[in-house]
Amino acid sequence: MSKNGYLQIHDPLKPKGQAVGIDLGTTNSLVAAVVQGKPRCVPVDEGDSLLLPSVVHYAKDGGVVVGARARRLAPEHPTDTISSVKRFMGRSPDDAETRKLGHYRFVPGSKVVRFDVAGGTPVNPIEVSGEILRSLKRRAEAHFSTKVEQAVITVPAYFDDAQRQATKDAGRLAGLEVLRLLNEPTAAALAYGLDKGSQGTFAVYDLGGGTFDVSILKLVDGVFEVKSTGGDSALGGDDFDRAIAQQVLQAMGEKEPSPALIAEVLAASRKAKEALTDVPEVELTVGGHKQVVKRADFDTWIQPFVQKTGVVCRRALKDAGVAAGELDGVILVGGATRVPAVRRYVAELFGREPLGDIDPDQVVALGAAVQADLLTNEDRQDEVLLLDVIPLSLGLETMGGIVEKLIQRNSTIPTAAAQVFTTFKDGQTGLDVHVVQGERELVEDNRSLARFTLSGIPPLAAGMARVEVRFQVDADGILSVSAKEQSTGATQSITVKPSHGLTDEEIEQMLLDSIDHAEEDIQARQVREQRVDAERVLAEAERQLREHGSLLQDGERAAIDAAMARVRELATGNDHLKLKEAVHALDETSRPFIERVMNQAITQVVGGHSVEEF
Amino acid sequence: MRTHFDVFGLPRAYDVDVPALEKQYRELSLQLHPDRVAQADARERLKALEGTTALNEAFKTLKDPVRRAFYLLKLHGIDLDREDAGAQKDMPMEFLEEVMDLREALDTAMEKKDLARARAMATDVEARKKAALDEAAGALRALEAGGPGADGQVLVKKASHALGRVRYFTRFLEQVDAFEEESLS
Repeated sequence: MSKNGYLQIHDPLKPKGQAVGIDLGTTNSLVAAVVQGKPRCVPVDEGDSLLLPSVVHYAKDGGVVVGARARRLAPEHPTDTISSVKRFMGRSPDDAETRKLGHYRFVPGSKVVRFDVAGGTPVNPIEVSGEILRSLKRRAEAHFSTKVEQAVITVPAYFDDAQRQATKDAGRLAGLEVLRLLNEPTAAALAYGLDKGSQGTFAVYDLGGGTFDVSILKLVDGVFEVKSTGGDSALGGDDFDRAIAQQVLQAMGEKEPSPALIAEVLAASRKAKEALTDVPEVELTVGGHKQVVKRADFDTWIQPFVQKTGVVCRRALKDAGVAAGELDGVILVGGATRVPAVRRYVAELFGREPLGDIDPDQVVALGAAVQADLLTNEDRQDEVLLLDVIPLSLGLETMGGIVEKLIQRNSTIPTAAAQVFTTFKDGQTGLDVHVVQGERELVEDNRSLARFTLSGIPPLAAGMARVEVRFQVDADGILSVSAKEQSTGATQSITVKPSHGLTDEEIEQMLLDSIDHAEEDIQARQVREQRVDAERVLAEAERQLREHGSLLQDGERAAIDAAMARVRELATGNDHLKLKEAVHALDETSRPFIERVMNQAITQVVGGHSVEEF
Repeated sequence: MRTHFDVFGLPRAYDVDVPALEKQYRELSLQLHPDRVAQADARERLKALEGTTALNEAFKTLKDPVRRAFYLLKLHGIDLDREDAGAQKDMPMEFLEEVMDLREALDTAMEKKDLARARAMATDVEARKKAALDEAAGALRALEAGGPGADGQVLVKKASHALGRVRYFTRFLEQVDAFEEESLS
């Protein structure tokens, strides 16, 4: 019976299509689902790649391209191509993380981060992330030939309330019901735990593109209990790229590099970093600049970042009340853990060789798929349960700008706390409440989550009115605050929105816009994507003709012009397959000419030597 | 009022079998957690959220001997977590002297960046904290047993004074931790 496809489609347990797990990563994003009891990642990009580069390109005609194609467009359109958008989620424009070396163009004076991109309307990080999620959803739907409407989306354990809220909003924008925000290290442990059926205490060391997390978990009787978590939501493999890039720009003597050059140097630096995993040195080329990067030097440049992770790990162990020697295993997650210096450091720190038998790129998505299955598949509900924690303490501002913590970090969620406030003036009818998140004593050193005024307090003598403010943190780690005046029982309830985040109206508008967007059929989208490609090829051909026209042979120009005209003509139409053919034909027609251009360039570079000498 | 002990169906007492409590916590979590009803209606999910929130709070309080002691004292009407609690003004003189001596010694060690000295003090304070907690535990056990001749008011005061010291020592140890972290990084 179970092999009958017809019955499976009408399975009453899956009324909402296939539930998936999504790893919305800084560098790459993945989607996975449990099929026939096993989690598997779904091909989501060119060449059946399981990794969708988290890169979104905005074209002049309003089209949007996501993934490897978008990444290829980055060098030419650095400000219209957003990569590593996760770094900006829930952050303000003046955040130190926002201002790190990058090739973006921000809308000045905006209170939230807005990227100024081609196509007319600036976009915010939630919308950019929404595009990535929409892409994953669409590709998973194509793969499973069924609707995908429910997802578990992973977030770094150390994400604060604003960053979680932003991620959840991005999911909604993409037309997904977010079943759960799952902490990435917890997801990784889940992927390992189910495979091995093990019991014990584990550390998960997760160094991704832009975030670092460590979690200490205990697995007993099918219950995964997170004992502590720590991290740095502004530390990751991207910092390694920037460390190389800064050395390269310095060597090039570039003091004020253009966005295009920064994008190019960062891309070359990322490649060099990846190559250094397998070889002791690598030659990096940017334009005419060549530079040998040695692994030993690279190790030195990244040492400050690596050591920062050690401080975080020691604190997490302490918070969990566990010594490194008591651990039963250390799990590595995230592409940046491929760096040999990082592996060495982790092995030394925890005094044991880390486990890496599940691909560190896939492990988070696989764990998220398991959780999505646990949440939607009633047959599996008794197997495993996750008990996660809140990563950062929540508190309220009190007199003198001091924080009073109401919920301590590493409290198991869901959790709640209440605090009673009294008025300090006779007849006072309002009370200002400022909610902050973080570990520091002074309000200004923590993250400001929300400010609001409790109104409608009955005018009584000072200290007589009593207002109870209650924090509730749900299983996603998201906070809501309610307040109750105790003498009248009047209740006010709000869901906390970050002070510098988006308003409800803005989210609403974005949702409306995205529904329009979602209704466009796949055909239209493919046309747009193909158009962007066509534009790129045309621009490149035009440039080569302009700069190297002398290398053309008889009749070549006419043939290339004709092929270009055909591409231009089809680019205005709606047949993406024909357009694709025309682009291909243009490539073929101009290839002999382009090869001559390349040969000449090589000859110039080697300066009169024959190529064989090298 | 439903106490944290009620959540686990335990009698109110200072002594708790923590491994058994942990096992029960896992079992109750498996029953109550919002993940169990992710596909159910809003009312069911709210019930799960509230039930698990109460369970987590009860577990956090009862598994830790210090929190458990403060909680029992609170059930006897003295809430040491409240800044404005009268009980805090009520601490005996020798405690205030002890606080001032420790404070001064730690300040000196921190000024001189003398981590070894601070650590030695922490070891000593750790022992004092344990002794104070034992004293509080004794008073709370007697109070809960409530046999004939037990003077409630005296025992509450005894527990309250001992826990006031525990609270101070805990903060002191946190300061040493912060100092240690700062010196190492």
